[in-house]
Amino acid sequence: MNNIIFQILVFPGLLFLLGWTFFVFYFARKVLARIHKRVGPHFNGPAGTLQTVYDVFKLLTKENITPKSVDPYLFNVIPLITPIVAALPVVLIPWTPWMHNGVVVDTQYGVLGLVVLIGVEPFLLFLTGFGSNNKYSFLGGMRILAQMLSMETPFFLAALSPAILFGTMNLHDIMYANNWLTTLILLPGAIIFIIAMLGILEQPPFHIPDAEQEIVYGFYTEYSGTNYVLLKFAEFTEILVVSAAAVTLFFSGYRGLFFDSFWCLFLKIALIAVVMVAIRASNPRLRLDQMLKFAWSWLVPLSILNIVWVIFAKLYILGA
Amino acid sequence: MEAIRKVLEKYDNEYVEDYKPTWLKAKFTNPNDLLSIVQDLQAEGIKTCSTVSPTDFIDENKIEVNYFLEDIINKKNVWLKFDIPRELEACKIPSITPLMPSANWHELEAYSTFGVKFEGHPNLRYFLISADYYGKFPFRKDFDWKAHEQNLIQNIDEITSEWLDEYEENEKTLPKDGSKTILHWGPTHPASGPIRLKVGVDGENIQWVDPDIGYVWRALEHLVERKDFIGSIVAVERICFMDNPNPMICYSQAVEEIAGKEITRFAKLMRVVLGEIGRIASHLISMGGFFGNAGLHTFVMWTMDVREYFLDALEEYSGARIATACIEPGGVRYPLRDGWLDIVQKAIEKYESSKDEFFDIFINNPLMKTRAVANAIISKEDVVQNYMAGPIARASGVKVDVRIDEPYAGYDEIEFDYVTCENGDIYDRLHIFFKELDQSMDIIKQAIAKIQEGIASGEMNPQKDHLVRIPKKLPAGEAVTRIEWARGEILMHLVTQEKATNPYRLKIKAPSVNHTMVLDELLRGKTLSDIPLVYGSMHICQGDLDR
Repeated sequence: MNNIIFQILVFPGLLFLLGWTFFVFYFARKVLARIHKRVGPHFNGPAGTLQTVYDVFKLLTKENITPKSVDPYLFNVIPLITPIVAALPVVLIPWTPWMHNGVVVDTQYGVLGLVVLIGVEPFLLFLTGFGSNNKYSFLGGMRILAQMLSMETPFFLAALSPAILFGTMNLHDIMYANNWLTTLILLPGAIIFIIAMLGILEQPPFHIPDAEQEIVYGFYTEYSGTNYVLLKFAEFTEILVVSAAAVTLFFSGYRGLFFDSFWCLFLKIALIAVVMVAIRASNPRLRLDQMLKFAWSWLVPLSILNIVWVIFAKLYILGA
Repeated sequence: MEAIRKVLEKYDNEYVEDYKPTWLKAKFTNPNDLLSIVQDLQAEGIKTCSTVSPTDFIDENKIEVNYFLEDIINKKNVWLKFDIPRELEACKIPSITPLMPSANWHELEAYSTFGVKFEGHPNLRYFLISADYYGKFPFRKDFDWKAHEQNLIQNIDEITSEWLDEYEENEKTLPKDGSKTILHWGPTHPASGPIRLKVGVDGENIQWVDPDIGYVWRALEHLVERKDFIGSIVAVERICFMDNPNPMICYSQAVEEIAGKEITRFAKLMRVVLGEIGRIASHLISMGGFFGNAGLHTFVMWTMDVREYFLDALEEYSGARIATACIEPGGVRYPLRDGWLDIVQKAIEKYESSKDEFFDIFINNPLMKTRAVANAIISKEDVVQNYMAGPIARASGVKVDVRIDEPYAGYDEIEFDYVTCENGDIYDRLHIFFKELDQSMDIIKQAIAKIQEGIASGEMNPQKDHLVRIPKKLPAGEAVTRIEWARGEILMHLVTQEKATNPYRLKIKAPSVNHTMVLDELLRGKTLSDIPLVYGSMHICQGDLDR
């Protein structure tokens, strides 16, 4: 019983996710600032580390405005559901060697659970845009749907490739079955996964649904205070979950070169975060129709070819 | 020029005379001749209207309407003048917009501020001014600004009710079902600045764009009438903060022309250096801002970093970084201090050390190119028809640059050529700025070398030569001056009266007006995502758009 409460409240539950949110917010700001030739957060806490904590608590104490024209239930309920749905996949991901099989819920359908739970999220975000009853929010909601429909196909297909190669959907087994050779075989899949991941997480160059120069702040436009914090919390949790999924599926999770530990996983996630920030710092946004064209005429065919390649490798290279 | 002179002499005129090497100035007696004059001029190649500038002569009970028409390819310009009665009912003149689309917004502006009715204008309406000025024509000499400003609350009510009426109108006319709606892109939009683009959209597809301007209308043209000739530079430089020194050069030249004074060679070269520093500062912001509009904020930080060095130079010279007030009629405001040229040199070195990175990472960025290349093309014909100025015209391959066409300050001593691109798409309109930065650095270097030579040979005295005295009272007269500003040509038309201590009328023609006018044409049929990119590529500054 104590164990369950610990898992819900501390690790890998609430406290861990909050700590991650503070960390990744600070980390992205600091790295981006370096690339921008700025200083970034500086005054609060050592090297500005407390700045994001202050920001979050400032938002929590702000008035939670529900505009007159919105649908009040949709508008206020979705920000409660979104972080929960975003945090659910956490139970499926193997975090550390000292839990049984590394996961909270040990299941044979880890990959399936992961992609389904990640795939539900955008529909909730669409509903925030729909409930805001604002032209810009609504356009943001429509854009998120269009982007998800086109990006989830290659995302799912890429996530399928390790499951096919190792013949299991159990994330822990996939992690331990991975070796140097299979990592190489899965590399095309990993690249497709990470590109599709940028689209799913609305990261540059696919930050189309909340393109502030075009549609103000997309589906976030009407949100403020606590609701805004909850939505942002969901966004950062999703970043954690999806990058952890990428590491687990393709780069053998928490296994390190010399020892297995949570910190190996953390380091790999941080590396992915650095790549994401570097892309953000050097690339402008794509247009919606260009993104659709890219997804459907390049990413989807390539991810199907990737499945063919994985099956071929399984039959003739690994000789199963 | 002779052919044009013959055309002009055909009609009843008071005079037709040469004015500067590239201008012909003519005053006509019958305003109804206007259309046929313009038609004949078009046959001679003069296809562009730079601006329309009415002047209110209240003592003679007339309004004089000035037309500045240009042939931007062959560099032949015509200045037409017509007298029309001052009474509101009779204050009419034929509209040239059907013949020259570039006159469109200039005529609207003249109508809104002076009440000159342009008969035959396709959509004559109040423009630029806010609702509380409707029907009052604020630039007329008998308009009482103080009395107007006393009814503050009532004025605000009028502005609000105009807004609400428009909202209701939209509610009635837009269909209840379907995906058509009107988006207001601005004035508080993250990328717009103080301008409102009313965008008619069907889903994400743009059907029409109607820019609503005037959110930063400060009536600068009227403000200078309240100041003396030197104090006016403070109003003039506030056209736009990005390129500060150049508008002051333009205004100062007009005053010098009326006063009949020639400034020293040293001051001319200093104007070149200061003007180019202003241009560089502006170009750096423009390029960075373009990427900001495309959702990438790194470049604007990097260009700002370089721009700081050039602002240091301005600060060291004038004490201010943005609003420098460093050029005044008679020369430049301050003597040259030891070591200032080294600061400029240091800034140039800073730029040249970072320029390769700029090109490799940003100007040559493949994702930006997928969006910008072959998008929103402005052809050479469009440039002539709608009068795109400066870099926007040069990006389409039109060779136009006032620094070469009609050399001013010290530019006649300096060797440089037109910088152009070929295609006139969004990418070229970004790339031209990068190319022009190199040119500007080169111009500064040449000018600095000439100043140093002059000082070494004893020809120039940097402590005394910077200013010649301009008399406090000027004779009656008028002057038209043009300069190449960072974002295109600025034309100023200055009118003074006998023993004047302040300008009687100053018309400022700024490039952004025409650049905003074509947004509708450029954006029709594109998607919502193209607005910030096209808008950013026109490098519009609301300061000079509204004045």
